[in-house]
Amino acid sequence: MKAITFIAITLLAGAIAGTILGIINQVAVEPYIEQAIELEMHNTAQSGQVINPAEFAAYRFWQKGGEIIAGTILGLSIGSLYGIVFAYTRGSISGTNNNKKKALLVAGIMWFVLFLMPALKYPPNPPAVGDPETIYYRQSLYVAFLAISGFSALGLAFLYRKMVMASSNNTKKKAIIIIPSAYAAIMAGAYLAMPANPDAINAPIDLVIGFRITSAITISMFWALLGVIFGAFWDKANFISNKIAARHN
Amino acid sequence: MLVGNQITKTSEGVPRIAVGILLGVLAFGVFIVGFDQGEMLGFTVPADGSGSEQGTNWAHEFYHDMRHAAGFPCH
Repeated sequence: MKAITFIAITLLAGAIAGTILGIINQVAVEPYIEQAIELEMHNTAQSGQVINPAEFAAYRFWQKGGEIIAGTILGLSIGSLYGIVFAYTRGSISGTNNNKKKALLVAGIMWFVLFLMPALKYPPNPPAVGDPETIYYRQSLYVAFLAISGFSALGLAFLYRKMVMASSNNTKKKAIIIIPSAYAAIMAGAYLAMPANPDAINAPIDLVIGFRITSAITISMFWALLGVIFGAFWDKANFISNKIAARHN
Repeated sequence: MLVGNQITKTSEGVPRIAVGILLGVLAFGVFIVGFDQGEMLGFTVPADGSGSEQGTNWAHEFYHDMRHAAGFPCH
């Protein structure tokens, strides 16, 4: 596949999945965000600050609409990483030659490593939870945990490939047990060693739990969509380039 | 050994220029949506300091809700 085709299908798949995420969040996650921001505004008003309702409405209008654009940008960037990982790993995935299945499997593994693991340690919070004073500290914790998960998975993926390339059936069987166990051990260690989120949860727990579950569902849907769309594009692009190559021969 | 050869061929087939461009898109997009606190898009905050008021930091308007929804830490 040509570089330009690979870039195009990667970015397009990411942009489509991300835009759909932004649109679905308008109805799925926004009710929780609205509720949390109302609570935030209520607390601000109680502390004596004056809130201009017209300015606030304009502010929220841009934030809600902006979520769709932010979804597209997020989709483009996560999709870019996904495309690279898929291109490098698809040759190592045994058991199927179906690129669509492989694409979905890679999306599932990346969802697990880059979303689920960090979310278990540092669960997403709606507005109204989170002290602005601790933002850089919380970002550092999140990035550190994300990096531990991501780079452990990357390192173990290389190790897995080496073990599979050794090609004895016994080694392959061992790799299937050793690699996930090593990842689980590293992540359990990191989970216990890393400090907890320092901020207290002052918002109603129903709101926080509802937000966490709903946003986790929509992000999971995004990863699934990314895998399905990218897999379909990859097959289509391969089909077209093979057809062109056949004509030239 | 056949499996090994197939793996090597596939990996070599990934164009480096594409990987470089996509890594650039990844770094830029994730930083903007997930982490920027005005470092990169500070120009959207008015120079007179009124950016601390709601509705003036335009970049923040656009990524705020998705930052929460995607699980990144926010204010």
